[in-house]
Amino acid sequence: MAFLKRKQKASFEGGGLVLFQDVHDAMQTENVLKEAGYAVRLIAPPLELRKGCDLAVEINLVEQPGIERLLSQKDVAYISICPLKVGTSELLEIVKVTDFGNWIMVKAGNMKLTFDKESGVIVNTSGGGCPDIPYIHAKLIGKLLTEAPRPKNIGFTLCALMLDRALEECLTLWQGGE
Amino acid sequence: MLLIAGTIPIKDLPLTIGEITSEGEFLVINGYHIPCTQGTGAVISAALVTTSYLKLEAPHVVLAGDIGQGKGSREIYEYLIKKVAEISPEVLVLHYCLPEMSLTRRLCEAVGECNKKPLMVADAASMYAAKAAGLAREFDVFTPDATELAFLADPAATHPAYINRHLFDTDITQTSRLVVAAYQHRNIAKLLLVKGAIDYVVIDGDILATIAEPNIPELEAIGGTGDTITGLIAAFLYAGLEPREAAIIAARANRMAGRFAQATPATKVGQVIEQFPNVFREYLCGWTGVCYTEGGNYNG
Repeated sequence: MAFLKRKQKASFEGGGLVLFQDVHDAMQTENVLKEAGYAVRLIAPPLELRKGCDLAVEINLVEQPGIERLLSQKDVAYISICPLKVGTSELLEIVKVTDFGNWIMVKAGNMKLTFDKESGVIVNTSGGGCPDIPYIHAKLIGKLLTEAPRPKNIGFTLCALMLDRALEECLTLWQGGE
Repeated sequence: MLLIAGTIPIKDLPLTIGEITSEGEFLVINGYHIPCTQGTGAVISAALVTTSYLKLEAPHVVLAGDIGQGKGSREIYEYLIKKVAEISPEVLVLHYCLPEMSLTRRLCEAVGECNKKPLMVADAASMYAAKAAGLAREFDVFTPDATELAFLADPAATHPAYINRHLFDTDITQTSRLVVAAYQHRNIAKLLLVKGAIDYVVIDGDILATIAEPNIPELEAIGGTGDTITGLIAAFLYAGLEPREAAIIAARANRMAGRFAQATPATKVGQVIEQFPNVFREYLCGWTGVCYTEGGNYNG
Protein backbone atom coordinates (compact mmCIF):
# COMPACT_ATOMS: atom_id res chain seq x y z
CA MET A 1 0.00 0.00 0.00
CA ALA A 2 2.94 2.27 -0.62
CA PHE A 3 0.83 4.46 -2.86
CA LEU A 4 -1.14 5.49 0.23
CA LYS A 5 1.96 6.82 1.95
CA ARG A 6 2.43 10.48 1.26
CA LYS A 7 5.30 12.61 2.25
CA GLN A 8 4.17 14.67 5.22
CA LYS A 9 3.62 18.21 4.03
CA ALA A 10 5.44 20.77 6.13
CA SER A 11 2.78 22.67 8.05
CA PHE A 12 2.83 26.37 8.75
CA GLU A 13 1.08 28.20 11.58
CA GLY A 14 1.94 31.87 11.35
CA GLY A 15 -0.77 33.54 13.37
CA GLY A 16 -0.83 36.69 11.24
CA LEU A 17 -2.58 37.87 8.07
CA VAL A 18 -1.78 40.43 5.38
CA LEU A 19 -5.06 41.65 3.86
CA PHE A 20 -5.42 43.03 0.32
CA GLN A 21 -7.78 44.96 -1.88
CA ASP A 22 -7.23 42.61 -4.82
CA VAL A 23 -5.94 39.13 -5.53
CA HIS A 24 -3.02 40.31 -7.67
CA ASP A 25 -1.48 42.15 -4.70
CA ALA A 26 -1.83 39.04 -2.54
CA MET A 27 -0.01 36.89 -5.08
CA GLN A 28 2.70 39.50 -5.59
CA THR A 29 3.20 39.70 -1.82
CA GLU A 30 3.53 35.94 -1.54
CA ASN A 31 6.31 36.04 -4.16
CA VAL A 32 8.12 38.99 -2.58
CA LEU A 33 8.06 37.44 0.89
CA LYS A 34 9.08 33.97 -0.29
CA GLU A 35 12.00 35.42 -2.25
CA ALA A 36 13.14 37.17 0.93
CA GLY A 37 13.09 33.87 2.82
CA TYR A 38 9.89 34.33 4.82
CA ALA A 39 7.63 31.33 5.46
CA VAL A 40 4.17 32.32 4.16
CA ARG A 41 1.09 30.82 2.52
CA LEU A 42 -1.97 32.05 0.67
CA ILE A 43 -5.23 31.49 2.54
CA ALA A 44 -8.82 32.69 2.56
CA PRO A 45 -9.21 35.10 5.50
CA PRO A 46 -11.90 34.35 8.09
CA LEU A 47 -15.10 36.29 7.36
CA GLU A 48 -14.71 38.34 10.55
CA LEU A 49 -11.36 39.69 9.37
CA ARG A 50 -12.06 40.03 5.67
CA LYS A 51 -11.46 43.41 4.07
CA GLY A 52 -11.15 43.79 0.31
CA CYS A 53 -10.56 40.54 -1.61
CA ASP A 54 -11.01 36.97 -0.41
CA LEU A 55 -7.33 36.05 -0.56
CA ALA A 56 -4.79 36.83 2.17
CA VAL A 57 -1.20 35.91 2.95
CA GLU A 58 -0.58 34.16 6.25
CA ILE A 59 2.66 35.29 7.90
CA ASN A 60 4.42 34.66 11.17
CA LEU A 61 2.89 37.56 13.10
CA VAL A 62 6.08 38.02 15.08
CA GLU A 63 7.79 39.08 11.84
CA GLN A 64 5.25 41.87 11.17
CA PRO A 65 7.70 44.83 11.39
CA GLY A 66 10.25 43.30 9.00
CA ILE A 67 7.50 42.32 6.56
CA GLU A 68 5.92 45.79 6.66
CA ARG A 69 9.31 47.33 5.92
CA LEU A 70 9.97 44.96 3.00
CA LEU A 71 6.54 45.49 1.42
CA SER A 72 7.03 49.24 1.71
CA GLN A 73 10.46 48.99 0.05
CA LYS A 74 9.00 46.86 -2.75
CA ASP A 75 6.03 49.20 -3.11
CA VAL A 76 3.50 46.40 -2.70
CA ALA A 77 -0.03 47.50 -1.79
CA TYR A 78 -1.85 45.91 1.16
CA ILE A 79 -4.66 47.00 3.44
CA SER A 80 -3.38 45.91 6.83
CA ILE A 81 -1.64 43.24 8.87
CA CYS A 82 -3.57 41.70 11.73
CA PRO A 83 -3.55 38.67 14.04
CA LEU A 84 -5.30 35.64 12.58
CA LYS A 85 -6.96 34.76 15.86
CA VAL A 86 -10.27 36.57 16.17
CA GLY A 87 -10.51 38.44 19.46
CA THR A 88 -6.83 39.35 19.69
CA SER A 89 -6.24 42.81 21.18
CA GLU A 90 -4.72 45.73 19.31
CA LEU A 91 -0.95 46.30 19.40
CA LEU A 92 0.00 47.73 22.79
CA GLU A 93 0.47 51.50 22.66
CA ILE A 94 0.89 52.36 26.34
CA VAL A 95 4.20 52.69 28.16
CA LYS A 96 5.25 52.70 31.81
CA VAL A 97 8.03 54.86 33.23
CA THR A 98 10.22 54.04 36.26
CA ASP A 99 12.51 56.66 37.80
CA PHE A 100 15.72 55.19 39.22
CA GLY A 101 17.20 58.52 40.30
CA ASN A 102 20.04 59.01 37.83
CA TRP A 103 18.33 56.81 35.26
CA ILE A 104 14.90 56.43 33.70
CA MET A 105 13.51 53.12 32.48
CA VAL A 106 10.66 53.05 29.98
CA LYS A 107 8.69 49.86 29.45
CA ALA A 108 6.66 49.20 26.30
CA GLY A 109 5.02 45.79 26.22
CA ASN A 110 7.66 43.24 27.08
CA MET A 111 10.60 45.59 26.34
CA LYS A 112 12.47 48.05 28.53
CA LEU A 113 15.01 50.76 27.69
CA THR A 114 16.98 52.70 30.31
CA PHE A 115 18.94 55.92 29.83
CA ASP A 116 21.10 58.23 31.90
CA LYS A 117 19.11 61.35 32.77
CA GLU A 118 22.11 63.65 32.63
CA SER A 119 23.84 62.47 29.47
CA GLY A 120 20.97 60.94 27.50
CA VAL A 121 23.08 57.82 26.94
CA ILE A 122 21.33 54.46 26.68
CA VAL A 123 22.74 52.27 29.46
CA ASN A 124 20.61 49.13 29.09
CA THR A 125 17.80 47.39 27.28
CA SER A 126 16.06 44.38 28.73
CA GLY A 127 13.14 42.03 28.20
CA GLY A 128 11.92 40.38 25.04
CA GLY A 129 12.75 37.07 23.48
CA CYS A 130 13.09 37.39 19.71
CA PRO A 131 16.50 36.88 18.07
CA ASP A 132 16.97 40.48 16.95
CA ILE A 133 16.81 41.76 20.54
CA PRO A 134 20.35 40.80 21.67
CA TYR A 135 21.61 42.28 18.37
CA ILE A 136 19.76 45.57 18.92
CA HIS A 137 20.90 45.58 22.57
CA ALA A 138 24.51 45.57 21.38
CA LYS A 139 23.79 48.33 18.85
CA LEU A 140 22.08 50.66 21.36
CA ILE A 141 24.16 50.42 24.53
CA GLY A 142 26.40 53.45 25.02
CA LYS A 143 24.71 55.49 22.29
CA LEU A 144 22.99 58.83 22.79
CA LEU A 145 19.22 58.55 22.52
CA THR A 146 19.30 61.04 19.67
CA GLU A 147 21.97 59.14 17.75
CA ALA A 148 20.96 55.54 18.37
CA PRO A 149 19.63 53.49 15.44
CA ARG A 150 15.88 52.93 15.64
CA PRO A 151 14.98 49.33 16.55
CA LYS A 152 12.14 49.39 14.02
CA ASN A 153 14.72 50.08 11.30
CA ILE A 154 17.32 47.46 12.25
CA GLY A 155 15.03 44.84 13.82
CA PHE A 156 12.53 42.44 12.30
CA THR A 157 10.13 41.39 15.05
CA LEU A 158 7.38 42.59 17.35
CA CYS A 159 9.89 42.71 20.22
CA ALA A 160 11.90 45.22 18.18
CA LEU A 161 8.75 47.24 17.54
CA MET A 162 8.01 47.39 21.28
CA LEU A 163 11.61 48.45 21.97
CA ASP A 164 11.22 51.18 19.37
CA ARG A 165 8.15 52.46 21.24
CA ALA A 166 10.20 52.55 24.44
CA LEU A 167 12.96 54.49 22.65
CA GLU A 168 10.42 56.93 21.24
CA GLU A 169 9.08 57.64 24.73
CA CYS A 170 12.63 58.02 26.08
CA LEU A 171 13.34 60.58 23.35
CA THR A 172 10.21 62.50 24.30
CA LEU A 173 11.22 62.52 27.98
CA TRP A 174 14.83 63.45 27.17
CA GLN A 175 13.77 66.28 24.90
CA GLY A 176 11.53 67.65 27.64
CA GLY A 177 8.19 66.60 26.24
CA GLU A 178 5.17 65.57 28.22
CA MET B 1 23.51 16.19 29.54
CA LEU B 2 22.31 19.76 29.98
CA LEU B 3 21.53 21.00 26.46
CA ILE B 4 20.89 24.70 25.79
CA ALA B 5 19.58 25.80 22.39
CA GLY B 6 19.24 29.35 21.15
CA THR B 7 20.34 32.01 18.73
CA ILE B 8 23.37 34.27 19.03
CA PRO B 9 23.45 37.82 17.61
CA ILE B 10 26.31 37.09 15.20
CA LYS B 11 24.80 37.07 11.73
CA ASP B 12 27.13 34.57 10.07
CA LEU B 13 27.62 32.13 12.93
CA PRO B 14 26.77 28.70 11.44
CA LEU B 15 24.91 26.00 13.29
CA THR B 16 27.36 25.16 16.08
CA ILE B 17 27.07 22.19 18.40
CA GLY B 18 29.21 21.04 21.29
CA GLU B 19 30.38 21.53 24.85
CA ILE B 20 30.89 25.12 25.91
CA THR B 21 33.93 26.58 27.66
CA SER B 22 34.79 30.10 28.74
CA GLU B 23 37.77 32.33 28.05
CA GLY B 24 37.82 35.67 29.84
CA GLU B 25 34.62 37.52 29.03
CA PHE B 26 33.69 35.14 26.21
CA LEU B 27 32.11 31.76 25.81
CA VAL B 28 34.07 29.56 23.42
CA ILE B 29 32.89 26.74 21.20
CA ASN B 30 34.59 25.25 18.16
CA GLY B 31 36.86 28.29 17.94
CA TYR B 32 33.99 30.79 17.98
CA HIS B 33 33.92 33.44 20.68
CA ILE B 34 30.42 34.22 21.92
CA PRO B 35 29.79 37.40 23.94
CA CYS B 36 28.25 36.97 27.36
CA THR B 37 25.46 39.47 26.84
CA GLN B 38 21.67 39.55 26.96
CA GLY B 39 20.06 36.45 25.47
CA THR B 40 21.31 32.92 25.02
CA GLY B 41 24.86 34.02 25.94
CA ALA B 42 23.70 35.05 29.41
CA VAL B 43 21.77 31.79 29.91
CA ILE B 44 24.78 29.70 28.96
CA SER B 45 27.17 31.78 31.06
CA ALA B 46 25.03 31.46 34.19
CA ALA B 47 24.60 27.73 33.63
CA LEU B 48 28.32 27.23 32.99
CA VAL B 49 29.37 29.12 36.11
CA THR B 50 26.97 26.96 38.12
CA THR B 51 27.99 23.61 36.65
CA SER B 52 31.65 24.59 37.10
CA TYR B 53 31.05 25.41 40.75
CA LEU B 54 29.21 22.11 41.28
CA LYS B 55 31.92 20.18 39.36
CA LEU B 56 29.39 18.94 36.82
CA GLU B 57 29.83 18.40 33.09
CA ALA B 58 29.64 21.74 31.25
CA PRO B 59 26.48 22.52 29.29
CA HIS B 60 26.26 21.38 25.68
CA VAL B 61 24.81 23.90 23.28
CA VAL B 62 23.09 24.17 19.92
CA LEU B 63 23.68 27.69 18.61
CA ALA B 64 23.24 29.56 15.36
CA GLY B 65 23.63 33.17 14.32
CA ASP B 66 20.36 35.05 13.87
CA ILE B 67 19.67 38.78 14.06
CA GLY B 68 15.95 38.41 13.57
CA GLN B 69 15.52 37.00 10.08
CA GLY B 70 14.81 33.51 11.34
CA LYS B 71 17.29 31.39 9.35
CA GLY B 72 19.44 30.46 12.34
CA SER B 73 16.36 29.80 14.43
CA ARG B 74 15.01 27.35 11.87
CA GLU B 75 18.38 25.57 11.67
CA ILE B 76 18.29 25.06 15.44
CA TYR B 77 14.72 23.74 15.39
CA GLU B 78 15.44 21.38 12.48
CA TYR B 79 18.61 20.05 14.12
CA LEU B 80 16.81 19.36 17.38
CA ILE B 81 13.83 17.75 15.64
CA LYS B 82 16.24 15.39 13.88
CA LYS B 83 18.63 14.70 16.74
CA VAL B 84 16.98 15.21 20.12
CA ALA B 85 15.86 11.60 20.51
CA GLU B 86 19.39 10.40 19.79
CA ILE B 87 20.93 12.93 22.19
CA SER B 88 18.26 12.43 24.87
CA PRO B 89 19.48 15.20 27.19
CA GLU B 90 18.44 15.18 30.83
CA VAL B 91 17.59 18.89 30.71
CA LEU B 92 16.70 20.77 27.51
CA VAL B 93 16.59 24.58 27.52
CA LEU B 94 14.97 26.41 24.60
CA HIS B 95 15.75 30.10 24.51
CA TYR B 96 16.04 32.99 22.02
CA CYS B 97 14.60 31.79 18.71
CA LEU B 98 12.15 33.21 16.22
CA PRO B 99 8.91 31.73 17.59
CA GLU B 100 7.55 29.20 15.10
CA MET B 101 4.49 27.29 16.24
CA SER B 102 4.66 24.44 13.74
CA LEU B 103 8.37 23.80 14.37
CA THR B 104 7.75 23.87 18.12
CA ARG B 105 5.01 21.29 17.63
CA ARG B 106 7.34 19.04 15.63
CA LEU B 107 10.06 19.47 18.25
CA CYS B 108 7.72 18.43 21.06
CA GLU B 109 6.79 15.34 19.04
CA ALA B 110 10.49 14.55 18.57
CA VAL B 111 11.15 14.98 22.30
CA GLY B 112 8.51 12.34 22.87
CA GLU B 113 10.84 9.87 21.15
CA CYS B 114 13.60 10.33 23.77
CA ASN B 115 14.41 7.30 25.94
CA LYS B 116 13.46 9.40 28.94
CA LYS B 117 11.66 12.68 28.46
CA PRO B 118 14.05 15.53 29.31
CA LEU B 119 13.12 18.25 31.75
CA MET B 120 11.99 20.97 29.36
CA VAL B 121 12.75 24.60 30.18
CA ALA B 122 11.56 27.46 27.95
CA ASP B 123 12.14 31.17 28.21
CA ALA B 124 12.11 34.11 25.80
CA ALA B 125 10.47 33.51 22.43
CA SER B 126 10.63 29.73 22.80
CA MET B 127 8.14 30.23 25.64
CA TYR B 128 6.02 32.48 23.38
CA ALA B 129 5.93 29.78 20.70
CA ALA B 130 5.06 27.03 23.19
CA LYS B 131 2.14 29.06 24.52
CA ALA B 132 0.93 30.23 21.11
CA ALA B 133 0.97 26.64 19.83
CA GLY B 134 -0.99 25.39 22.87
CA LEU B 135 1.96 23.28 24.02
CA ALA B 136 2.74 24.91 27.37
CA ARG B 137 1.85 21.80 29.34
CA GLU B 138 4.57 19.86 27.50
CA PHE B 139 7.12 22.00 29.37
CA ASP B 140 8.40 21.64 32.92
CA VAL B 141 9.56 25.21 33.52
CA PHE B 142 8.68 28.66 32.14
CA THR B 143 10.39 31.78 33.45
CA PRO B 144 8.16 34.74 32.48
CA ASP B 145 8.34 38.29 33.78
CA ALA B 146 5.15 40.15 34.73
CA THR B 147 4.29 41.18 31.15
CA GLU B 148 4.97 37.70 29.86
CA LEU B 149 2.69 36.29 32.57
CA ALA B 150 -0.03 38.62 31.28
CA PHE B 151 0.68 37.20 27.82
CA LEU B 152 0.25 33.66 29.15
CA ALA B 153 -3.03 34.74 30.76
CA ASP B 154 -4.38 36.17 27.50
CA PRO B 155 -5.89 33.30 25.51
CA ALA B 156 -5.82 35.18 22.21
CA ALA B 157 -2.32 36.70 22.16
CA THR B 158 0.45 35.01 20.18
CA HIS B 159 3.06 37.59 21.25
CA PRO B 160 3.31 39.95 24.26
CA ALA B 161 2.95 42.95 21.91
CA TYR B 162 -0.67 41.92 21.38
CA ILE B 163 -1.77 41.33 24.96
CA ASN B 164 -4.94 42.85 26.28
CA ARG B 165 -4.24 46.33 27.66
CA HIS B 166 -6.02 45.57 30.94
CA LEU B 167 -3.73 42.60 31.51
CA PHE B 168 -0.67 44.75 30.73
CA ASP B 169 -1.90 47.30 33.29
CA THR B 170 -2.28 44.64 35.96
CA ASP B 171 -0.20 45.39 39.02
CA ILE B 172 2.36 42.84 40.21
CA THR B 173 0.20 42.33 43.32
CA GLN B 174 -2.39 40.79 40.99
CA THR B 175 -0.01 38.02 39.99
CA SER B 176 -2.23 35.37 41.54
CA ARG B 177 -5.16 36.47 39.33
CA LEU B 178 -3.01 36.20 36.21
CA VAL B 179 -1.66 32.83 37.30
CA VAL B 180 -5.19 31.49 37.70
CA ALA B 181 -6.20 32.79 34.26
CA ALA B 182 -3.09 31.37 32.58
CA TYR B 183 -3.60 28.02 34.32
CA GLN B 184 -7.26 27.84 33.33
CA HIS B 185 -6.28 28.38 29.70
CA ARG B 186 -3.60 25.66 30.06
CA ASN B 187 -0.98 28.19 29.04
CA ILE B 188 1.62 27.55 31.72
CA ALA B 189 4.32 24.97 32.21
CA LYS B 190 4.23 22.65 35.21
CA LEU B 191 6.39 25.16 37.09
CA LEU B 192 6.46 28.91 36.59
CA LEU B 193 9.05 31.23 38.05
CA VAL B 194 7.54 34.68 37.60
CA LYS B 195 10.37 37.22 37.73
CA GLY B 196 9.72 40.64 39.18
CA ALA B 197 9.86 42.84 42.28
CA ILE B 198 8.60 39.70 43.99
CA ASP B 199 9.46 36.38 42.35
CA TYR B 200 6.67 33.80 42.41
CA VAL B 201 7.16 30.04 42.21
CA VAL B 202 4.01 28.44 40.84
CA ILE B 203 3.39 24.73 40.47
CA ASP B 204 0.29 23.49 38.68
CA GLY B 205 -1.42 26.84 39.14
CA ASP B 206 -0.68 27.26 42.86
CA ILE B 207 1.74 29.86 44.22
CA LEU B 208 3.99 27.81 46.48
CA ALA B 209 6.71 30.31 47.29
CA THR B 210 7.64 33.95 46.92
CA ILE B 211 11.11 35.49 47.00
CA ALA B 212 11.40 39.21 47.72
CA GLU B 213 14.82 39.62 49.33
CA PRO B 214 17.24 41.08 48.77
CA ASN B 215 15.18 43.67 46.93
CA ILE B 216 17.24 44.88 43.95
CA PRO B 217 14.80 46.73 41.65
CA GLU B 218 17.67 47.78 39.36
CA LEU B 219 17.95 44.20 38.09
CA GLU B 220 14.84 44.72 35.96
CA ALA B 221 16.68 47.29 33.84
CA ILE B 222 19.74 45.11 33.24
CA GLY B 223 19.50 43.17 29.99
CA GLY B 224 20.09 39.48 30.64
CA THR B 225 19.22 39.20 34.34
CA GLY B 226 16.10 37.21 33.48
CA ASP B 227 18.19 34.99 31.23
CA THR B 228 20.59 34.27 34.10
CA ILE B 229 17.69 32.94 36.19
CA THR B 230 16.86 30.50 33.40
CA GLY B 231 20.49 29.36 33.24
CA LEU B 232 20.62 28.91 37.01
CA ILE B 233 17.42 26.86 37.15
CA ALA B 234 18.61 24.66 34.30
CA ALA B 235 21.93 23.97 36.00
CA PHE B 236 20.30 23.22 39.35
CA LEU B 237 17.82 20.86 37.69
CA TYR B 238 20.76 19.14 36.01
CA ALA B 239 22.41 18.88 39.44
CA GLY B 240 19.38 16.91 40.60
CA LEU B 241 17.44 19.47 42.61
CA GLU B 242 13.66 19.28 42.55
CA PRO B 243 12.14 21.94 40.26
CA ARG B 244 10.65 23.90 43.16
CA GLU B 245 13.96 24.04 45.02
CA ALA B 246 15.87 24.85 41.83
CA ALA B 247 13.54 27.79 41.14
CA ILE B 248 13.74 29.21 44.66
CA ILE B 249 17.52 28.99 44.78
CA ALA B 250 17.88 30.48 41.30
CA ALA B 251 15.76 33.47 42.28
CA ARG B 252 17.66 33.97 45.53
CA ALA B 253 21.07 33.61 43.88
CA ASN B 254 20.21 36.07 41.13
CA ARG B 255 19.08 38.72 43.63
CA MET B 256 22.09 38.14 45.83
CA ALA B 257 24.47 38.41 42.85
CA GLY B 258 22.82 41.74 42.06
CA ARG B 259 23.56 42.90 45.58
CA PHE B 260 27.15 41.63 45.43
CA ALA B 261 27.63 43.45 42.11
CA GLN B 262 26.15 46.63 43.63
CA ALA B 263 23.91 46.72 40.64
CA THR B 264 22.69 49.96 39.11
CA PRO B 265 20.55 50.24 35.96
CA ALA B 266 23.82 50.73 34.04
CA THR B 267 25.39 47.47 35.25
CA LYS B 268 26.08 44.83 32.60
CA VAL B 269 24.88 41.27 33.03
CA GLY B 270 28.45 39.93 32.97
CA GLN B 271 29.14 41.83 36.18
CA VAL B 272 26.22 40.01 37.83
CA ILE B 273 27.25 36.61 36.49
CA GLU B 274 30.80 36.93 37.80
CA GLN B 275 29.35 37.20 41.32
CA PHE B 276 27.60 33.81 41.23
CA PRO B 277 30.59 31.81 42.57
CA ASN B 278 30.84 34.24 45.49
CA VAL B 279 27.12 33.89 46.18
CA PHE B 280 27.32 30.07 45.99
CA ARG B 281 30.34 30.02 48.29
CA GLU B 282 28.53 32.04 50.90
CA TYR B 283 24.94 30.83 50.65
CA LEU B 284 24.41 27.65 48.62
CA CYS B 285 25.27 25.28 51.43
CA GLY B 286 22.79 26.96 53.76
CA TRP B 287 20.07 27.15 51.11
CA THR B 288 20.32 23.55 49.92
CA GLY B 289 22.11 21.55 52.58
CA VAL B 290 24.39 20.39 49.78
CA CYS B 291 27.80 21.84 50.48
CA TYR B 292 30.75 22.14 48.16
CA THR B 293 34.04 23.53 49.35
CA GLU B 294 36.94 24.89 47.34
CA GLY B 295 38.53 22.18 45.24
CA GLY B 296 35.29 20.29 44.83
CA ASN B 297 35.10 18.51 48.17
CA TYR B 298 31.56 17.63 49.00
CA ASN B 299 29.74 17.58 52.32
CA GLY B 300 26.26 16.17 51.91
